[in-house]
Amino acid sequence: MPDDRAGETTECAVNRVRRNPIFLLPVCAAFSFVFFGLLVSGCGREKGVRLTFWQFWPSEVIEPIIEEFEKANPGVDVEMQQLTWQNGFEKIVASVSSGTQPDLCELGSTWVPRFAADGVLGDVTGEVGALKDSLLFWESCSLNGRVYGIPWVAGTRALFYNKELFEKAGLNPDSPPETWEELIECARKIHSPGNGVYGFGMNAGERYILFKKFMPFAWGNGGKILNQDLSRSEFASGENLEALVFYCSLKKYSLVEKQDVLDMAFKQGKIGLEISGGWNLKTIPADAPDLKFGVAVVPKPKACCGTHASFAGSEILVTFVKSGHQKEALKLARFLVEKQNVISLCRSAKSVQPIFRGAQNDPYYDANPLEKMFVVQLSTAVAPPPHPKWPEIEEIIESTVEEVTYGTRKPEEALLEADNKINSIVSSTGD
Amino acid sequence: MHKTRSTLIFLSPWLVSFAVFWAFPLIFSLVLSFLHFNPLRPDTTHVVWLSNFVKALQDPLFWKSLKNTLLFVAGTVPVTTLVAFFLAVAINQRIPFRTLYRSGFFIPSIVSVVVISIIFKQLYSPFGLVNKLAELLGSEPRSWLSEPRTALLCIMAMDVWASFGYYTILFLAGLQAIPLEVYEAARIDGSGFWGTLRFVTIPMVRPITLFIVVINTIRSFQVFIEIFVMTRGGPLNSTLTSVFYLYDRAFYRFEMGYASALAYLLFVVILCFSLVQMKYLKMGRAAGE
Amino acid sequence: MRRATGKRAKQARVNTAVLSVLLLLLLASTLFPLYWMVATSLRGEASVMKTAVDLWPRSPSLRNYVDVLKSGPFARYFFNSIVVSAAVVLGNLLFASMVGYAIARRQFRGKRLVIVGIVSMLMVPRQIMMIPLYLLISKLHMMNTYFALTLPFLVDAFNVFLISQYVLSLPVELEEAARVDGASDMNIFFKIVLPLSRPALAVVAINTFLVNWNSFLYPLILTNTERMRTLPVGLALYSQGEHSVDWGHLTAGSTLCAVPIILVFLLFQRHIIEGITAGAVK
Repeated sequence: MPDDRAGETTECAVNRVRRNPIFLLPVCAAFSFVFFGLLVSGCGREKGVRLTFWQFWPSEVIEPIIEEFEKANPGVDVEMQQLTWQNGFEKIVASVSSGTQPDLCELGSTWVPRFAADGVLGDVTGEVGALKDSLLFWESCSLNGRVYGIPWVAGTRALFYNKELFEKAGLNPDSPPETWEELIECARKIHSPGNGVYGFGMNAGERYILFKKFMPFAWGNGGKILNQDLSRSEFASGENLEALVFYCSLKKYSLVEKQDVLDMAFKQGKIGLEISGGWNLKTIPADAPDLKFGVAVVPKPKACCGTHASFAGSEILVTFVKSGHQKEALKLARFLVEKQNVISLCRSAKSVQPIFRGAQNDPYYDANPLEKMFVVQLSTAVAPPPHPKWPEIEEIIESTVEEVTYGTRKPEEALLEADNKINSIVSSTGD
Repeated sequence: MHKTRSTLIFLSPWLVSFAVFWAFPLIFSLVLSFLHFNPLRPDTTHVVWLSNFVKALQDPLFWKSLKNTLLFVAGTVPVTTLVAFFLAVAINQRIPFRTLYRSGFFIPSIVSVVVISIIFKQLYSPFGLVNKLAELLGSEPRSWLSEPRTALLCIMAMDVWASFGYYTILFLAGLQAIPLEVYEAARIDGSGFWGTLRFVTIPMVRPITLFIVVINTIRSFQVFIEIFVMTRGGPLNSTLTSVFYLYDRAFYRFEMGYASALAYLLFVVILCFSLVQMKYLKMGRAAGE
Repeated sequence: MRRATGKRAKQARVNTAVLSVLLLLLLASTLFPLYWMVATSLRGEASVMKTAVDLWPRSPSLRNYVDVLKSGPFARYFFNSIVVSAAVVLGNLLFASMVGYAIARRQFRGKRLVIVGIVSMLMVPRQIMMIPLYLLISKLHMMNTYFALTLPFLVDAFNVFLISQYVLSLPVELEEAARVDGASDMNIFFKIVLPLSRPALAVVAINTFLVNWNSFLYPLILTNTERMRTLPVGLALYSQGEHSVDWGHLTAGSTLCAVPIILVFLLFQRHIIEGITAGAVK
């Protein structure tokens, strides 16, 4: 056969298609695929300033506030993206490393030191002078004297107790335990596994969660994790040991499970006491409207000493060094932290509370005593030390508590080992 | 030669796909394992040669994850294979509704592992059906997934449940390939049910048994989804498996160099296992050739 | 047919009966968890919390489905899964068959290497490639797009293998006759080989759909917004979280994930089983 195909021209190819239209099919498919993909993945269209704002609250909570901002600032279009706690961190990291970071972003306070140390956050020290006095928790967003974000709201954990179970156990439903001894006593009286009722809901090992349930006892007892300038571990202290021993002594009157199981069990009226967060103030009325429950601050070691400490996790609004619209982003941030907007957010979300001074005296909280309890708890709450390597320290604390809870290690040993590990982390430099 | 060109056209999808999405990642993964690489801080990338591997061998979590994975494989593969075999033998008998059984048992294995994990997470919860069943049988309720001793076992049981149907089908195919004359011959020789099973059936399904064991092992080594959904490695790292650990290092700690080293170590382990199995169970031809 | 009588036959019948009963029980308990999933998803009471364990939905309703599809993200997840699965199936049907055909019918230098390449693709576990793939997709700025979810999976080695085996079994004469008549390669491929390979293509389509619909690891790392997640990934992440999860919603979402697959299976059982056993019995 003559080799005249060697010089195939476009004309030939077109003829081919004409002769055999089925050839067109894959070509069409490819084109429509590409087109569709581009369309759906979205190509940004510029009209005025387009701010990208990444945050963790559901649309119904945050949209109204954003709409208000857009109304007050025509020409600024806010593109909000909702992140989940499950992989929000990864997503933010991915965006920073690929240069697609948002203009304004909500970060958990335990993440801020790390990003700040990596030099990716915008330095806003000069911009926030006016806000300094009215908001709390600035330490969580500062590093080496420079401020890298604006505190927005904060969440804490308080003691939930089931009033009906209290009554059944012969306890006064209006006087929740205030000391460690009272706590374990209440748990003991309510604990009746034969009837499917547990005294206390104790957290099993769960990343990012366990330390929030144990540290309140440690902090309340005056224990610490790191020293003042974050250079050395103070984890293996007598106070922490007492707290750890107490925490583990709760086990025999507890159901040890993950947070979501504990919350569900509490709603089903199977747990007398548990330490949990404000989201329950939304979910309990929705899922278990008949449940009679109360909220109290976390018990302190003894009536005479210690504090009603709890975990404080604030949400910080940050900008990125590489972001294009820093000015507008800060404008949005300032708008978000205004009192009425913060209250509006906290009112819808319920899992966080405002951190402007005097928040507990806001008329909204007078009308909502359970939520007010969280604000009160927040005033004695402690934030984790703002060390860039906090996530690794957190992991060490959590595995320590877990090991002691499950009895694979003695408290003193576990604390000493944790102490060593934390020291090796805070003393090592670089990544 | 036009033939060569058109052959090239026909092969092009695979060539592109292979080069970009297979060969490149494979090689790059090896390269990564010799580096310290954090995607958040690409400027800190530097070559560390074998220290990732050394770090892995000294990492207690690496060994723990490997141990858990080996436990998982050792616990599920034999059980699944046995269950699948006997079930196939049972279904292969002259009983009504054979197709019903074959299809019915198979359904759990095509449902997404995510769905199965979600279902079982609830069944295993302290107020779930498993505890209700346990109470009926007289034993006390437990936090199945939150106790270090029981968590991995529960996941293994779930895995057997979810996968035996698939292997039953394979065994059925193997059983049905045995010519009837062989059975006839055995019957004439006076061989009973168990005798036939031992001396005829089992030897004749050897190739398929090997295939099943090998692919089940490879698959079990990669257990990930169940851990991700149900326990995330806890409690006390008792369900930390190799792939989950590697995922954790790569996407939570962003130690991608180290994670790549872990991936390669896991691959070597899987390869060794497969080779040993193939040799031990005396397989003549390699798969696919 | 006259029913066999006598002791032996009677024993056989008893055996069969016992076996049937056992198998039925085993089948029932095997399918029970799936039944539980559907039953829980149909529970219409306002709080699924009260009695978490119910074997039968007391007030059955589709409320949970409406919730997760309308106000929840599952409609989007479902849509994504369909789009991605469709694209990957179509891609495989076209590309895997092209490659399979070339391997079956063409001789070329390096053919051995290609075959080794294909086989090795089957043997190497996915985890080794997940990090570089993630970085590659990220660098190409394709992260969190349909491209990321489909492009790497358009040519599956198993499908190539299936098609090549099948094409090998087709008589070469038809193609040769067509070539003598002056038909082009593309013509031969699309008009002769593909139509004849319909059985194998069916197996490819169905198996690819099954594998892809349930795909988890890669969609997990290659997407990071709700908008782009596929059903298994969305479902898994939905079930996590410090905050309480509604089991009615979760099981509704799970059922949405499981039903298409089960339907496809029930409709195409033969093909699926053929596909599985073809790979094994070689």
